[in-house]
Amino acid sequence: MRKSRITLLMVLVLLLMGTLIQAHAQSKVTITLSTWTGVNEAAELQKILDKINTENTDFEIVHQPFPSDYMTQVKTQIAGGSAADLYWIGNEDLALASEGVFMPLTDCVKDAAPQTAGDVSDYYPDIISTAMQDDVLYGLPWIAQPVVVYYNKSLFDAAKLDYPKAGWTWDDFMATAKELTKDTDADGKIDQWGFTANGWPPPQMFVWQAGGEVIGTDLTSSPIDSPEALDAWNYYLQLAYNPEVSPSSDTIKEQGFDQMFRAGKVALFMGGAADGLDYEVENVSVVSVPVNPKTELGTTFAWTASTVISAGTQHPAEACKALLAVTEGIQNWKIVSPRISQSTVEHLVASVPQKEPDAQAIIDAVPSMRAFTIVPQLAAWNDVFWNKFMTPLLNHETDKTPEELAKEVRPLLEAALTGS
Amino acid sequence: MDPGVIGSYGPTLLRYGVVAVGLIAVMYIIYRVQIAVGVNREAATGRALVSPWVIGFIVFQLFPIGTSLYLSFTKYNLFKAPEWVSTDNFRDLFSLQGVTYQSHEALNATTLQSGYEEVLRLEIGESGWMLAAKQAKFWRSVRLTLLYAFLSVPIGLAGALGVALLLNQKVRGLSIWRVLYYMPAVLPAVATALLWRWIFAPSGLLNAILQPVYSMASIQSPRWFSDPNLALPAFIIISLWGVFGANSVILLAGLKGISQELYEAAAIDGAGEWAKFRNVTIPMLSPALFYNLIVSTIGAIQVFEVAAFIPLPDTAGTFLNWLIYREAFEFRRMGMASAMGWIMLAIILALTVLIFRSSNAWVFYQGNREEAAA
Repeated sequence: MRKSRITLLMVLVLLLMGTLIQAHAQSKVTITLSTWTGVNEAAELQKILDKINTENTDFEIVHQPFPSDYMTQVKTQIAGGSAADLYWIGNEDLALASEGVFMPLTDCVKDAAPQTAGDVSDYYPDIISTAMQDDVLYGLPWIAQPVVVYYNKSLFDAAKLDYPKAGWTWDDFMATAKELTKDTDADGKIDQWGFTANGWPPPQMFVWQAGGEVIGTDLTSSPIDSPEALDAWNYYLQLAYNPEVSPSSDTIKEQGFDQMFRAGKVALFMGGAADGLDYEVENVSVVSVPVNPKTELGTTFAWTASTVISAGTQHPAEACKALLAVTEGIQNWKIVSPRISQSTVEHLVASVPQKEPDAQAIIDAVPSMRAFTIVPQLAAWNDVFWNKFMTPLLNHETDKTPEELAKEVRPLLEAALTGS
Repeated sequence: MDPGVIGSYGPTLLRYGVVAVGLIAVMYIIYRVQIAVGVNREAATGRALVSPWVIGFIVFQLFPIGTSLYLSFTKYNLFKAPEWVSTDNFRDLFSLQGVTYQSHEALNATTLQSGYEEVLRLEIGESGWMLAAKQAKFWRSVRLTLLYAFLSVPIGLAGALGVALLLNQKVRGLSIWRVLYYMPAVLPAVATALLWRWIFAPSGLLNAILQPVYSMASIQSPRWFSDPNLALPAFIIISLWGVFGANSVILLAGLKGISQELYEAAAIDGAGEWAKFRNVTIPMLSPALFYNLIVSTIGAIQVFEVAAFIPLPDTAGTFLNWLIYREAFEFRRMGMASAMGWIMLAIILALTVLIFRSSNAWVFYQGNREEAAA
């Protein structure tokens, strides 16, 4: 009799717990959103989500931030079938669309009103293309952050140099950087540099400016040995770790990359348009990146990220509504918005008021921005590109010229692209 | 209380509750079934109580081990169903090419198979032998990891023995010394990796201290982690940090267990300090040394944290465990990563067997000796 009671009690407890879980699940459709936000950024995002949750009665977005090792966690969740309904994906990982892990958004955006987050025609084509595969849309970009040049006006004034203007060339840039590299305290050691580079800004940007490509339009070739690409590599190697214009690798490691600019030891710095260097550091302004003198192209790299819907979501309709609402919210929070209609000084200043003095320069850079070419094997390509080509050249770990090394590494890059 | 907290954590706590109640139910069912088939109460209770651990072992260890073995024969990118490729992954990994050459000119004239890269070169004068591999990155990692294990383990063991002998002395504040020496073993590996990265940085603490020496010798400050020739010594120095503490505690316990009578008997026989150490301390401590040798070797081959936080140049290779992690989660080649994992297991197994086989020659078990004498 006593044993039967115990068995009955256990069954009742299980039923009660199951009912409680079920009851909780049925109250409002929960849409989970995974992001890589840290504490402060997550708090800002939560305000946007709270507003959306108040305005919508059929779903509630629950934020799940993973500030570190984000993609490993997301990939593991996807493989385990427990991915969030919505999640952020950086441009380099959007190639996962080819694995069928994102829900196609064709139906989700087909009735979107003009100039809203779902209006695909309102996005810069090169940015929205990172979220498309075979003409199918898989994500909505919420940021497109072009690289711009931050310059320290005090150091320009001290050197009696004119401030740089949009349209300046690679040669102007090099000459300016040389002028600003000097021994200011006459102790025989350089203590102020014109520029700094350590693999950032992306060298690919200079190839695009020269009219070349690092991944061909066929997505299987990697013409890093083309004359245009070689022009770019040679120019980049004159900029990075060259004592005439920039600090050594050791000095950068010791004093910090952007910290040297913040400390007034570097006069020109290429950073993302959203970086706070212009309003956090005194007397700093912004100008667009220099153009290639031969092609007159001023293409600038833009890092972009999108929000996608998990292909395994149990609530596709609500997830779609949530995606549109979240993307609209974030595009009014982060700069620069990837939407053409929002590429205005007014919109940028409304999102980040501190950017007002340089808003026009940033908006001027937007039409020239370009994202990485997204291919399924981008991680493997990057591994070869950096470990076999760029890093040995930058660190002088090879006796080979860029021409010789490019010829040698190109087949490896192409093998990486084809997965062979 | 913030209502959001219950909303956020409530379902998770409920699920934990369900799991706990579910396990109790399973234990009860196992118990009842055993009683029903006539097992005595004590045995039934014992089996029922260990059943949660057995279930956990099967689900969280045995199943992943079996799955990884299966995956090593597949091509699997996490998102699409694994595709059976038979032994292709292992064949790829064991695609090796050996080249014997009489001169460097002859070597330069040799054409490696397409996609093969040099892994290892052994030279005597102008002639020598070179090993190339299709998966050169893997074999470079194997080479680096084995070199690291072969060098760091004996040095670490000798250091730990020295520390244990020091801590076994009657000195003032002994307990404080013991705490200090053991402290590195309890510090998070990631924190110590970052600390060492700073110490070995081009303008870090070590180079700053050694700067006068570099100046006297007219050499530039070494770049410890970016110079392929210096990276291994730097990692070995780092490895000694934690090993001293953890291993010396075990050796210290071993030293404490050595009977004073043995030392007294040796003294009566006229043994000096060195003879006592060689003929009493080392043999009596050999089981503890044997245990430390096995555990340290396995630990050295599985090194992960420092490898993850201190990048090495491509030419130096990387540590095997870190390579496997990157292969799996960065490049999503789970099948290849699993195959590498099983080869790593084979290496660990082979070394462990080798150490076990050698133990007859140098490990002294007092019980065995007494049994043999009887």
